[in-house]
Amino acid sequence: MQDKKNISLIVKDLIFTGLIAAVLLIPIVGLRTEISTTDSTGLIFNYNFLITFIVIAFVVGIRFLFHLYWFSKIKREQKEKSETDKKRFLKKLNLYLGIIAGVIAFTLPFMPFANRYVVDVATLVLTYVMLGWGLNIVVGLAGLLDLGYVAFFAVGAYSYALLSTGFDLSFWICLPLAGILSAFAGILLGFPVLRLRGDYLAIVTLGFGEIIRLILLNWYEFTNGPDGISRIPRPSFFGFPFARKSDGTTFHELFGLEYSTMHRIIFLYYLILILALITNFFTMKIRNLPVGRAWEALREDETACRAIGINPTNTKLTAFAIGAMFGGFAGSFFATRQGFVSPESFTFIESAIILAIVVLGGMGSQIGVVVASIVLIGSTELFRELEQFRMLAFGLAMIVIMIMKPRGLLSNREPSILMHTKKNE
Amino acid sequence: MEYFLQQLINSLTLGSIYGLIAIGYTMVYGIIGMINFAHGDVFMIGSFVSLIAMVLLGVGTGVFLPFALLVVLIAAILITSVYGWTLERVAYRPLRGSFRLAALITALGASIFLQNFVQVSQGAKIKPIQPVIQGGFTFFENGDLVVSLSYLQIFIIIITIILLSIFSYLISKTPLGRSQRACEQDLTMARLLGINVDRTISTTFIIGAALASVAGMMFVLYYGVIDFFIGFLTGIKAFTAAVLGGIGSIPGAVIGGLLIGLIETFWSAYFTIEYKDVAVFGILVIVLIFRPYGILGKPEVEKV
Amino acid sequence: MSNILEINHLTMRFGGLVAIDDVSFSVEENTITSLIGPNGAGKTTVFNCITGFYKPTIGEILLKTNKEFNLERMNDFTIPQKAKVARTFQNIRLFPQMTVLENLIVAQHNKLMDASMYTLKGLINARSFKNAENEAKELAKYWLDKINLIDRADIEAGNLPYGQQRKVEICRSMCTEPKLLCLDEPAAGLNANESLELNELLKFIKKEHKISILLIEHDMSVVMGISDKVVVLDYGKKIAEGDPNSVKSNPEVIKAYLGEE
Repeated sequence: MQDKKNISLIVKDLIFTGLIAAVLLIPIVGLRTEISTTDSTGLIFNYNFLITFIVIAFVVGIRFLFHLYWFSKIKREQKEKSETDKKRFLKKLNLYLGIIAGVIAFTLPFMPFANRYVVDVATLVLTYVMLGWGLNIVVGLAGLLDLGYVAFFAVGAYSYALLSTGFDLSFWICLPLAGILSAFAGILLGFPVLRLRGDYLAIVTLGFGEIIRLILLNWYEFTNGPDGISRIPRPSFFGFPFARKSDGTTFHELFGLEYSTMHRIIFLYYLILILALITNFFTMKIRNLPVGRAWEALREDETACRAIGINPTNTKLTAFAIGAMFGGFAGSFFATRQGFVSPESFTFIESAIILAIVVLGGMGSQIGVVVASIVLIGSTELFRELEQFRMLAFGLAMIVIMIMKPRGLLSNREPSILMHTKKNE
Repeated sequence: MEYFLQQLINSLTLGSIYGLIAIGYTMVYGIIGMINFAHGDVFMIGSFVSLIAMVLLGVGTGVFLPFALLVVLIAAILITSVYGWTLERVAYRPLRGSFRLAALITALGASIFLQNFVQVSQGAKIKPIQPVIQGGFTFFENGDLVVSLSYLQIFIIIITIILLSIFSYLISKTPLGRSQRACEQDLTMARLLGINVDRTISTTFIIGAALASVAGMMFVLYYGVIDFFIGFLTGIKAFTAAVLGGIGSIPGAVIGGLLIGLIETFWSAYFTIEYKDVAVFGILVIVLIFRPYGILGKPEVEKV
Repeated sequence: MSNILEINHLTMRFGGLVAIDDVSFSVEENTITSLIGPNGAGKTTVFNCITGFYKPTIGEILLKTNKEFNLERMNDFTIPQKAKVARTFQNIRLFPQMTVLENLIVAQHNKLMDASMYTLKGLINARSFKNAENEAKELAKYWLDKINLIDRADIEAGNLPYGQQRKVEICRSMCTEPKLLCLDEPAAGLNANESLELNELLKFIKKEHKISILLIEHDMSVVMGISDKVVVLDYGKKIAEGDPNSVKSNPEVIKAYLGEE
């Protein structure tokens, strides 16, 4: 009797879902507008009713699966794992994934399948990992909602471009300079806004990000506008250029190897790997220091921080500036790898992607950032053809993952100091 | 002087569009304290639905215009409202009560999803449409310098005024409006008093989407061309309007919309058009830094 | 005995609402003073003025330790740092995802920042910083021991039962090494046993560490049990100030709490 009622309820719900899906999908998916080729008066329709119907059926199907899931959850007696068990599992998972990722990362270029394409994709993934770890300092540790992180990436990239093309300085000088300039930008941008609450801070940082992009786009005299800055010098192996022939000794001559373009590619790969790892180790170290702890406390409860004498503005500024600095380093790397920078690379969507990597991966999980980058960026490259669907899936993934696990997939917080360590227990 | 007048007329029109969208932002923020990042994209959907309806009805090619436009308006409102409702139900309701960052990410995800949904379904190219409402009053003509008030502009301004009147009546005199204001003040208490909070919140989203869809239709008529990305920029500007007027205040959203319309139009007219968006973003940043509660808002005293 | 805290003609207005009206009282050094009164009397407002969370409309709040501080002119985070005034909150504000130990260590932030020369010494693992960190741990351990929570030091603060969270919050304040401790309803939500433990803890703090305490409280067993002085507020005005017994029998006070006969 109860089951019959349930079934009728479920059927009604499915019909309702189907109707809603129909209203949503028929106009936009079913009636595709195209610019008419026959007469120049405007748009004609390209009817896509079959696809629409399939999608509607798909949506109803998903809803049905939902019901099955709820149903089974009630019927089965769920043995919920205890909190401590879950935590222990996550901690182990984080550790194992970290080790595996580390091993793969260091040996990747020498694997048999590692051709230029693979190493290039890995380099791109690592760039996003570094950006994610840099943003993690601002968002994950200090809890500041920054939607304009790409601005510091841009400042770093353009600083590097201008310094290296304008003043002929080497990579190893330009990199720290670009970082310092980015940190400066962080302080400048952070100072007026860091006292704003959550959502407001997010919007204002978004605004700043866009302002910087628009300035880069329109200030022709300084930044070359939409044309960007090109012919940025490529890095050398500590003075030995990666060229076939040069005035001094080239890299391949130094090591007695046949010249290959892969040398530079692999060098760049290890360069970003090292830079990213520096960001990571810095983060892990600073968590155990007073300023890192203050960041985390600020994230938890700013009022309580004030009551124990922590200056919130200075503390937030420090996080913002340091996060900006690492973004700037990543930007320098980006500039020298591409040899070319233009405002198109620094849109808002990049900030959104980097933020998504940090949050989806899991707050407080360094390896989570790596996993999220691999999944989000790596899959992009694999499905190059289906570029449009990639972003669609990206948006959907953001919604779904947040609903299921608001703290991110691998979120786990290790205390930064322990009273009882394993030794004296 | 004449040039000034023309800019004034133009900015009223633009401001109406921004104002209608801004109300949606401000209502949602007022009731559940979150910025509905995807609201601009709901506006974009409204514009696409309007466009499709217009093409379907053959608007501009002999169909009786006022009737056709009315049908388009109703269709846009109905369909876009369903989008607004679904957005809240699917992406936001599960996260009500969760922490801020999760709600922000899901809103971003919804925004990205909607943009690409339209891009995939309708193609990435711009969609132009023949001018539908043409003609108007010309007050002054001297070679290039013209001051005119087109029928379209009158149409937009009148529709906006009608909608705002209906809407204010709704908010202040009906039980729905009362529930909404109660929820804005104290959600838990409202629920304890028997107000159906879920339904009130859903209604808020529906109304916001409806107003945004009207703005979408206006946009199609006024600019004659749309694409899947208009939601982002217009959305931010409308949000700036809401913040400028005082987030949470509906009259503030309208005033903010008009002001942003004014600023954008006059900046393009008298300074440079390339930096007009920077001007609006700049306003956003300045308002948030110096007076985050906006023109009609009051500074919040945090209870310790 | 000299005064550690002097409140002179304190008035706080929010727009048209007068929350506190010309309130003056003092807290003597090395004593426990309770601030009581019916709900809405303005007690927490007084606290917020003392600890810098509100700027008073009129009035002077003098803290007299080794120096004189005008608290009404100082920032909410400068007061704990420079004037050494600590406070707790009506709704407990611990850092819930951090462990109990971390809560107590982060309270010693300023001391540790100085010792690490703004983190630089920390980055290179300097010996002097390590020593400072160990000292901080010892201080935390000392207080945890006093409230019998050493074996729960590594548990997330948010997972502790309510009564223990209260005690941890007080210890966290003690880790800032204050001269004046302001407690906002420390006994709220505690049962009779826990209230007794609280009394012992506060008496210990006053006696052994020579710290002055100002507390807001409704629980009369705590107020009468440990206060040296009681100040009574009603509708924003002070209606009594004196030792517990005389205040208890003050007709104005009785009227405020129980209404007219």
